[in-house]
Amino acid sequence: MFGDSIRKCLAGLQGTQTWRVGIAVIAKENYPLYIRSVASQSELKFHYTVHTSLDVVEEKISAVGKSLGDQRELYLGLLYPTEDYKVYGYVTNSKVKFVIVVDSSNTSLRDNEIRSMFRKLHNSFTDVMCNPFHNPGDPIQSKAFDGIVSGMMVQTG
Amino acid sequence: MSIPDYMQCAEDHQTVLVVVQPVGIVPEDQFFKIYKRIASVSQVSIRDSQRLLYIRYRHHYLPENNEWGDFQTHRKVVGLVSITTCDSAKDWPQTSERFHGQKEVYSSTLYDSRLMVFGLQGEIAEQQRTDVAFYPSFEESPDVERRVEDFVESIFIVLESKRLDRATDKSGDKTPLLCVPFEKKDFVGLDTDSRHYKKRCQGRMRKHVGDLCLQAGMLQDALVHYHMAVELLRGVNDFLWLGAALEGLCSASVIFHYPGGTGKLAGRKPSVSQAADTGKRHRPGAQEVLIDPGALTANGISADTSTEIGRAKNCLSPEDIIEKYKEAISYYGKYKNAGVIELEACVKAVRVLAIQKRAREASEFLQNAVYINLGQLSEEEKIQRYSILSELYELIGFHRKSAFFKRVAAMQCVAPTIPEPGWRACYKLLLETLPGYSLSLDPKDFSKGPHRGWAAVQVRLLHELVYASRRMGNPALSVRHLSFLLQTMLDFLSDQEKKEVTQSLENYTSKCPGGMEVITLPDGMKLPPVPFTKLPIVRSVKLLNLPITLRPHKVKGLLGQNMSTASPFIYSPIIMHNRSDERCKKIDFQWVQGDVCEVQLMVYNPMPYELRVENMGLLTSGVEFESLPAALSLPAESGLYPVTLVGVPRTAGNITINGYHTSVFGVTSECLLETLPTVKTSGCLVEVIPSLPRLQLSTSLPRSTHTVQSMSKEELCSSVSVQLFNGEKQQMTITLENIGSEEIQTLELTSKIVSTKEKVFGEFLSWDLEDALSHLPLKPGQAVTLTVGIKVKLDFSGQESLLQDLNEDGISVTGLPISSPLRQVLKARSESKSVSSESGKTEYSHVKTLEAVLNFKYSGGVGKVEGYYKELSLGVHVDVEPSVFFTRVSTLPATSTRQCHLLLDIFNPTEHELTVSAKNNQELVLHASECQRMAIQVDKFDFESLPQPDHETVHFSNPKQLEEERLHAQGGQINSKLGICCAYSAVLLNQIHPSLERDGEASVEGVLNQLVLEHLQLAPLQWDVLVNGKPCDCDIIADCNVGVAVTLEVKLTNRSKNPVGPLALTVMPYQDFQNGVQNYDLEDAVTFIGSNTFNIDTVKPRESSVCEGALLFLYTGDFYLNIKFQDDSAGRALPLAWFTLPSVHLRALEAPLQAGA
Repeated sequence: MFGDSIRKCLAGLQGTQTWRVGIAVIAKENYPLYIRSVASQSELKFHYTVHTSLDVVEEKISAVGKSLGDQRELYLGLLYPTEDYKVYGYVTNSKVKFVIVVDSSNTSLRDNEIRSMFRKLHNSFTDVMCNPFHNPGDPIQSKAFDGIVSGMMVQTG
Repeated sequence: MSIPDYMQCAEDHQTVLVVVQPVGIVPEDQFFKIYKRIASVSQVSIRDSQRLLYIRYRHHYLPENNEWGDFQTHRKVVGLVSITTCDSAKDWPQTSERFHGQKEVYSSTLYDSRLMVFGLQGEIAEQQRTDVAFYPSFEESPDVERRVEDFVESIFIVLESKRLDRATDKSGDKTPLLCVPFEKKDFVGLDTDSRHYKKRCQGRMRKHVGDLCLQAGMLQDALVHYHMAVELLRGVNDFLWLGAALEGLCSASVIFHYPGGTGKLAGRKPSVSQAADTGKRHRPGAQEVLIDPGALTANGISADTSTEIGRAKNCLSPEDIIEKYKEAISYYGKYKNAGVIELEACVKAVRVLAIQKRAREASEFLQNAVYINLGQLSEEEKIQRYSILSELYELIGFHRKSAFFKRVAAMQCVAPTIPEPGWRACYKLLLETLPGYSLSLDPKDFSKGPHRGWAAVQVRLLHELVYASRRMGNPALSVRHLSFLLQTMLDFLSDQEKKEVTQSLENYTSKCPGGMEVITLPDGMKLPPVPFTKLPIVRSVKLLNLPITLRPHKVKGLLGQNMSTASPFIYSPIIMHNRSDERCKKIDFQWVQGDVCEVQLMVYNPMPYELRVENMGLLTSGVEFESLPAALSLPAESGLYPVTLVGVPRTAGNITINGYHTSVFGVTSECLLETLPTVKTSGCLVEVIPSLPRLQLSTSLPRSTHTVQSMSKEELCSSVSVQLFNGEKQQMTITLENIGSEEIQTLELTSKIVSTKEKVFGEFLSWDLEDALSHLPLKPGQAVTLTVGIKVKLDFSGQESLLQDLNEDGISVTGLPISSPLRQVLKARSESKSVSSESGKTEYSHVKTLEAVLNFKYSGGVGKVEGYYKELSLGVHVDVEPSVFFTRVSTLPATSTRQCHLLLDIFNPTEHELTVSAKNNQELVLHASECQRMAIQVDKFDFESLPQPDHETVHFSNPKQLEEERLHAQGGQINSKLGICCAYSAVLLNQIHPSLERDGEASVEGVLNQLVLEHLQLAPLQWDVLVNGKPCDCDIIADCNVGVAVTLEVKLTNRSKNPVGPLALTVMPYQDFQNGVQNYDLEDAVTFIGSNTFNIDTVKPRESSVCEGALLFLYTGDFYLNIKFQDDSAGRALPLAWFTLPSVHLRALEAPLQAGA
């Protein structure tokens, strides 16, 4: 299959192991604030996946922005499915993006669970932002946030 | 059919395919020139009908693809244009043969063909044929386009006939089954009579007719036919053809809705801008198709509403188009062999969606397209496919996806399976991905604000660029990319990565050093230079003033002139706001041409290892500047580290420090300050004044580390120190050498005693500059010497506490009676202040310091003309050790009224024996810590002759101050005059130390109190007594004879300011028996001739009065005359001391006759 060749191409670059779940927080200006995936070896692949998913996120935001204005659903839903993973997106009102990537084989996760994951993530992110010593725009280095993400990884992965 | 045409779009369905091919040997460039001319005829309006025919030209078309012509007629090659060269008529048959051979290839589908022969001149053997055109050369072929149009028209005629033939062929009982190549064997042995089969045949034929109608420009008919085909084929589950019918429907609808086209990408290299353009561009031809005279008039009012309604009904809505495309693609997907069709359908749908701006749905189509398997693809095809995916993603605005696929394509170019990796292509594709990763290769974009974009992927891309450019064999490029990576991504690299990157950078630069030139790529892209502003990071730039000895000073008067030129107003409330950048601000000091100037940079090494910066220098403008580069080595993760860059301005003017240049890892960079917003600077513009000479100073005295108080060390060029006893003198030789390149024309020397609590008597520093000045102008390299005398004369008076010490130590203070009241008082005090005595003791042995600054002002050369001079300061530090103390001073009247005795109690606080001598060679030897009294006979002084205080000083002070000032000035003047007087009277002290053999001069200046001063003062009324015309004073004994009248003359000279008198004097003779008894009863021994009382009238200032009398001694003997004031009515006001008259001692002798006895 053609998709295989892409995968091979990527695999050739970044090693063979694929991640099972990954969470990314992306700033308004589309650079990563926080990136975490289970398998560190294929981290770059994860970067590429999240990076390309931003296209869809931006597309969705611009589409929503036109119609509804402030009454916007933060949860963007499935951004795009591929053969081996699903990418979900969530955008806060300040245009900070959360992206969760899960293995396609993981069927236990329903839309609702993903939604609650995002909500949890958002709450924790808000806490991080409330820290007066955190400089908005800097990479997130909060231990509490790390803990929340780790918890989610264990739960889903 | 295996090779998809990614350029296809929906409106291609209405075109007819014409292949243009060369036959025989045709130069490629000539062929493409002709091909272009042919291709310009892309639409032809048919003469009789209002329809338009669209033509798609290909110069290469696989016959294999042609086999799908029945499936979709636009895939069918219906026309062939061959281009050939033919030099002579002889070759003609052969050429003709070849043309026919070529026709054979597409013979099954060809409607018509043409041959264009170039180069054949003269007779054409064969008769004129319609399908052959002869041109003498490629240039002389004016009617190519017309011929092509004719050709197209002939094609149209065939097409139209076919359409009509097929369309009216409904009733025919035997409808042929159209099929795609891979289906052929499936239908072998199928029942051709079944209803199912017939329906299938009909459906497929309908679809085919629809295609033909579309090509023939009959959109409406096509829609109708497609609809019918869909109905028919749906019934028989002929999915492949159903898909084709649906796609046809979509295509027709797209043509209807979007006459502007759906992104026909022109040429071989489609670009984003072109794709966007096509959406807006309106093809006039398409408009004509739409405005079918039978259906629609120009103003929108339909002539026949039924057709309009029909069209609206038949035509799909934009949403439906996508739905139908989806359906069609899903049907295609059922057939493995129809992969190309499916893929092309996807591409077409994406283009339609791009027009509709439905990017997300488009991405779904593309996502699907990614997974369509076309069997074994060659590497080249893969690259093509990734590239087209990338372009399509770009089209729908998914720049990141686009970049991703482009990068995959680039990687594919150099896949290990390819025997000859195309690094060049890879590099080119990688460059195209840059915008998708929001990466520009201009470091300026990264200098402002926070980092943009996704660092992790950007780093990866840059690494790939570096690698690709290296494999391309362009080390300069890889150095540039690597520098860029290091400069912009430094914050995102781990320590290990930093090490690796720098190592490889050093490897590359060893072959090809990096520079500051712009690298231009073959395709015109420019790679701006990458200055390493982060290696090291510069935090601040500070221009340093010259060291104080080299600093130029402006002559005051000229400065004023300069200021006045700035504005005609002395003061203006409107401040000229300097809006220009802080950096442009002029710094308020000057540099001197030819002198080494310094700029201090605070640098920081962000690297985890030592950073070697070579050839670090300044970039300047405005003045010719010789930069002296420095090399430095910064320790790992150093803190702020000061670096001083130096240079010499070679001309005068305003110099601007623009930046600095470095060479790190073999990459030279020029960092301009204006591009570095984080650099702090207090201004970069400084004035360079014309050259001034330089003077070097050396002294005969040892240099000291002492710094003169209230002056920082750097303010002095050097300082010398010497240790002297109080009162000692020393000579210091100063050598001044001109070490500059300019002549020294002027030299001035001033000195200043640094404020000290000690009172200094006499001139501390003295010199004679005349000799040195006679050597001017001083040429470079020449030296001049100057002798400066150092004389320390501090207070010699013993402190009160010292006296106490002495008393307590049991040292007898001679001259102070044991029971004197003063002593008592002192004693009482010492008891009450016993604690302080300790400190007092240390004080008297304490070495006092005296400091002064010698200031040399010199100038010369052009700088002097401009009014500048330089200063050189020499600090003189003297440790003054006490030599002698005058613990107590008192006076005793001498026998003469003009003289008195000064009694000095001299104390030797040193540990040495010293000899004290006064002017009249009295020598006194004092042992250590010994105190002795010394009596010196001195003449009284005349204070009245002191000059009046300077009027200048009186002028410039307010009335209140004036009084104080005058008092002070007078006091000071008296004091100083007194000092001189004292020096004149010379209490000479030769301090001869047995071991040291040093001598000095002590002064009593500070010791004298008011009482003593009064005693030392000459009375303003001067009395002179003359006996027998001889002055008589003190010890002089005037001789006279008994019986002879002795004339007595009393002369009063008034030196005071006021008139004195009148006065009455009484002369009283008496005899002193030397036992304390004075006999005034001498009336029978002495007789006055005349009165014994003198009357002196008022004596005006500066006048004198003389009164005379006479005495007659009757007996021999020693007589004294006591001259007293009788009447003191006027004299009372004056101090008694003024009226001290000398006592006259007379010795009356026998008459000369008896003299011998």
